[in-house]
Amino acid sequence: MAVQFFGQFLMERGIVTGTALRDAIQLQEKNNIKLGETAVAMGLITLADIQRAHNAQLSKDMKLGDLLVEMGLLTLIQLDDIITRQKNNHLHIGEALVQLGVLTADTLRQHLDAFKTDQARYISSGIELPVISANSAIWEMTADLTFKMITRVLNLQFHAGTCTTPTVLSPNFMMAAMDLSGDVSARYLISVSQELQKSIARAILGEASVDDEPAEVLEDTVMEFVNVVCGNVAAKASQTGVILNINPPVALHPPAHGLAVPDGHTALCFPIHTGSGELMEMILIIKE
Amino acid sequence: MVKVLIVDDSLSVARQLEKIISESGDFSCVGHAKNGAEAIKMNHIEDPEIICMDMNMPGMDGLTALRTLSVMDKEVKVVMVTSLGGVGEKFTEAIKLGAKNVISKPFDAETVLRILREL
Repeated sequence: MAVQFFGQFLMERGIVTGTALRDAIQLQEKNNIKLGETAVAMGLITLADIQRAHNAQLSKDMKLGDLLVEMGLLTLIQLDDIITRQKNNHLHIGEALVQLGVLTADTLRQHLDAFKTDQARYISSGIELPVISANSAIWEMTADLTFKMITRVLNLQFHAGTCTTPTVLSPNFMMAAMDLSGDVSARYLISVSQELQKSIARAILGEASVDDEPAEVLEDTVMEFVNVVCGNVAAKASQTGVILNINPPVALHPPAHGLAVPDGHTALCFPIHTGSGELMEMILIIKE
Repeated sequence: MVKVLIVDDSLSVARQLEKIISESGDFSCVGHAKNGAEAIKMNHIEDPEIICMDMNMPGMDGLTALRTLSVMDKEVKVVMVTSLGGVGEKFTEAIKLGAKNVISKPFDAETVLRILREL
């Protein structure tokens, strides 16, 4: 019950073996040549140009295509042509499995339909943000996946409040945080009371009572919940072409006066009112 | 019973997996390592048939450990555990290194056991 790619969906259900998937991936890698190589094959740049761009990437956090344009080696129109050619020639994992004889075209179609039905649970429904940013779609998706995981993983009934943009985060019993990097830069946090921490622990550990669990384990369950949400967010973002890297989660114990949002950052706070009257907050601290 | 080593820096993930494994009746958990380096040591000591390995750990991560194990021990079957689904390079790399399958978080006990039984 996670956001997945099609290959993993097939493997998890025993439809294809790891070996067959490995062969399909190798076939894809042979077929799906990278942007730089495509540009060379089209006669637009040379191998030496690629090397210069790769060297420049060591100090510039930019995608190769954007860098080649910035360096004057490609025009925007040429970059667009290259990406179009890549898309038109792209061999998808299902097609690779058909070429290898692991699946037929008919069974591929059936499994694709089943995959779409399975993953439809992770399509975002309307979330309203108070500010519009370049990455609003990612933040909306993050909030939506958080709500879905609260229902599915934590089995908590809740009502989501209106998103706000605080400059100081309210103090709470604990917060679990995870840093997101790559195409966006943000910190994802879940802020919980002691009672909510226990609710989360009961759900994660599958235990009716967690009264005898050490504090370390209780904290770890909230961190693990953050890990599950952010991992699924990264997987979903990847499906839309956005690269999100996640780091291991950390636990925070905010001071009584709360946590100030750092300069140069905007906080989006999503209050989550549980059925038992507790307040959880999902917070994104986004680098502007 | 088939011996399983759990490798994850999260105590709660290890507990979840251990519960699923021990309640299955056909698997037993022989230990819990918190990173890749510990996993390699414990693999040598406990000689498990299956390792459930987290991808994302501080210190030596799951892919690095898998790379080492694929050379040192060709018998042990490694299943990666991740919240990242099948996303991008890490999934592809794990499959190319010989991981037998990938278990997604959040866990579904039935799926976990089916994957382990099919190994």
